[in-house]
Amino acid sequence: MKKLLTLAAFAAGMSGLSVSAHAQDCTTKVGAVLPTSVDWGRPIAEVAQFAVDQVNEAGGAAGCKIEMVLRDTQVDPKVGVDAAKALVDLEGVNVLLGAVSSGVSMPILTSVTAPGGVMQMSCCSSSTAFTKLSEEGKTNGLWFRTFATTAVQSAMGAKVASDKGYKSVAILYKNDDWGQDMARLIAADFAAAGIEVTGSVAINDAQPSYRAEVTEALGGSPDAIYLALYPNEGTSAVREWISLGGTQNMILANSLKSDEFRDNVGLQYLENALGTDTASPRVASADAFKAAYVEKFGSEPNGPGLANSFDAAMIALLAMEAAGANASGADIAAAVAKVTDPDGAPITADVAGVTAAKETLAGGGTVKYQGATGDVRFDANGDVSAPAVIWKFTDSGTDEVEYLSLGEVDAFIASLKK
Amino acid sequence: MIGVVSYLVFFTTVAAILGIAVMGLNLQWGNTGLFNGGVVASFGAGAYATLMLGGPPQDGHVGGFGLVYPLALAGGMLAAGILAWIVGKLTLRLRHDYLAIATFGVAVAFENVMRNATTITGGAQGIRGFERPLRAMLGDGFTYNVVFLVGVLVTLVLVYVFLERLTVSPFGRMLRAIREDETAARSLGKAPDRIRLISFVTGSVIIGLAGGLYGTFYAFVSPQDVLPILTFQIWAMLIVGGAGNTKGALAGAFIIWGAWTFSGWALSRFAPIEAQLYTGSIQFVLIGLVIVGMLLWRPQGLFPERLVVSQPGQNREKTQAEGFT
Repeated sequence: MKKLLTLAAFAAGMSGLSVSAHAQDCTTKVGAVLPTSVDWGRPIAEVAQFAVDQVNEAGGAAGCKIEMVLRDTQVDPKVGVDAAKALVDLEGVNVLLGAVSSGVSMPILTSVTAPGGVMQMSCCSSSTAFTKLSEEGKTNGLWFRTFATTAVQSAMGAKVASDKGYKSVAILYKNDDWGQDMARLIAADFAAAGIEVTGSVAINDAQPSYRAEVTEALGGSPDAIYLALYPNEGTSAVREWISLGGTQNMILANSLKSDEFRDNVGLQYLENALGTDTASPRVASADAFKAAYVEKFGSEPNGPGLANSFDAAMIALLAMEAAGANASGADIAAAVAKVTDPDGAPITADVAGVTAAKETLAGGGTVKYQGATGDVRFDANGDVSAPAVIWKFTDSGTDEVEYLSLGEVDAFIASLKK
Repeated sequence: MIGVVSYLVFFTTVAAILGIAVMGLNLQWGNTGLFNGGVVASFGAGAYATLMLGGPPQDGHVGGFGLVYPLALAGGMLAAGILAWIVGKLTLRLRHDYLAIATFGVAVAFENVMRNATTITGGAQGIRGFERPLRAMLGDGFTYNVVFLVGVLVTLVLVYVFLERLTVSPFGRMLRAIREDETAARSLGKAPDRIRLISFVTGSVIIGLAGGLYGTFYAFVSPQDVLPILTFQIWAMLIVGGAGNTKGALAGAFIIWGAWTFSGWALSRFAPIEAQLYTGSIQFVLIGLVIVGMLLWRPQGLFPERLVVSQPGQNREKTQAEGFT
C-alpha cells in the first residue's frame, strides 16, 4: 500500500494532475456528529464536507477515497453520544469530527472516543474543561480542537478597550459554557489591563425581552460594552441597549461576526463597534479558502465556526494520510503533529496543498498546515493558539482594523499576566 | 460483527435507563393520574447528586466527596425524593394541566439553577471527572459496558417487580381509586393528598435512580442533559407504550428510543447525499409523525392498561377499550 501511495503521489506530482485513479478503489469512512437540525449547525457540516471533497479531489487520504458519514446531534447529549457510538461501532470510523457544543462533545469524549481509541477533533467546543481533562491525562491524546481557546479572544477584547482608552466596561455574555468562560476570562483581563468592569450580566437564549438584563448592565454607566453573544440574542440585546441609551462603544466577540447581526441591528449603530477574532496568517491559503468558499456557497464565510470546521476536517484527513493505511485512531492522533509541524513544509488548504502535502509525507517529511484559521499548532492538550485580528463592520461584510501575529498575541497575553 | 454487538449493548443500556424513568412516570401518571411535567428535574437531581457525591474533589465547585458508588447512587435517589417532596407539598393540590404547568416550571428552574450556580454545580461546564465504579478492574472497553448493562438490567427488573407488586396491592387499588374519583375515595376514608404525595415521591425517586445511572454511564452531566426535551421524550415513551401498564412503559422506552436513534442511522445511511444535511430536521418530522399517529389511532398506547377487578371468587378482566374506565 505504501508503495502504491508513493506511486500515486509521484504520478500526481509528475503530471501536475490532482486526481489519482488508484485512490478511488477503496473508501474510508470518517464520522461527523454536528447539530445539522439547528440553523447555524448546517453550514458547519457543509464546510466540513467541502474539505472532504477537496481531499477526495486530490486523491483521498491514505490511498482511499474518504466518505464523511454525518449524524445530527440535535444539540442533545444523549442523541449525540448515541450517534457517535453508532459511527464508531457500526461504521467503524477511527476519526470523529465534532461536536459543536461542549456539553455534547464532553460525554462523547469520556464515553465513546477516549475508551474506544478514536481520534476526536472538534471545530467549535471551547470549554476550558477539555484542557483540564487533558491535563489529567484522561483524553489519551485523542482530543483536538481547532477553536482557539477563549484566552486569545478575551485578551484581544482587553487590548481593544485599553487602546481605545475605555475606563469602564460592562459585559453581556451568553449563558452557556462558552459565554461563562468568556465572561470570567475577559473580566480578569480587563482587571489586568486596569479597566473597571461595571457589571457582568448573563443573557439566556430565546427570551422575549432582555430589558431587565440590559438595564442592569446600564446601571454602572460604562464607557463601553463587551458582547460575548450569538447573533440572535445579540441582536435583541443590542437593540434594547441602544434604545435605552446605552453607549455605542462596543467590543464584539467573533460569534457576532455575522451579516445577520449587522443587518438586524443596523450599520449606523455599529460604527464604534470593534470585533475581535482569531485570524488567518498573511498567506495565500487563507485567501484561497475564502475564495473557494465564495465560489462554492456564494457568500463570504461569515458564520461561527466555519473556518474552524474546515480546518478540523482538513487536519484530520491529512493526519490520516500521514498515518498511512489501516491506522488506528491513536496512530492518526499521533500523526497530527506531522501535519502541523512548525518546521515542516508549508502547504495551503486546497487541492493543490493537499497534493503537495501527500508528496512531502510520502517522502518522509513533515508539513506545516496553513489553514483557514491560520498556522494551526496544537499544544499538548490539543488546544490551539492563533493570530488575531480586530475588525469592524462595513456595508458588505467586515474590514480588518488591526492584525496581530501569533508572536504579538502571545506577547500581549504575557503582558496581561504580569 | 463485534461492532454491532458493542453498539447494541450501548443502545440497550441507554434504553433501559430511560425505561426505568418511564416506569417512574407511569406510577405517577398511569396509576395515580399526576401530570408531572417536570420529569427532568427528578432525573437531573439524581444525576447531579450521584456525580457530586461519588466524584473526585475538584476546584471550582463543591462536591467530590468520593463516596462509594452505592451510597452515591442512593444519595442521588434521596436528592430526587427530597426535591419531589418539596415540590409535591407545594403543588399537588393542583389538578391536571395546572400541575403540569407548575412542575414544568420547576424543571426549567432546576435547569437554570444548575446552569447558574457555578460554584455548586460547575455551571454550564457541568460535572466531569467522575470515576465509574469498577473501572479500575474492568477497564474502559466492551467488558465494562457489558457489566454495566447487566447492572442496569438487574436494577430495571427490581424496579419492575416492585411496581408490579405495588399496583396489584391494596395500595395500588387506592391509587387508581384516587385517579378515577377523588371524592369517592375520600368518602371511603382515604386521604388522597397524602397518597398522591407518596406516589409522586416514589415515582420521582425511581426517575432519580434512572438519572443517577445515566450520569454514571456518561461520567458527565451538564445543564444540556436536563433540558425540557427529555421530559418530552419520556412522556412520548409512556404515551406510545401505554399509560397505566408497566410493561407498556418499558416497551415504549425501547420503541421510542429505538426509533429516535434508528431513524438517524437509517437516514445517514440511505438518504441521498444532497439530503444528508437535512436528515436532522427530517428525523424530527418522522418522530413527530409517529407520536401524532399513535395519538390518533391508538391513544391507549401499544399495551393498554389492564384493569383487574378483584372480587372474591371471580377475577374478571376488562380493558379500557370496553368502556371500563
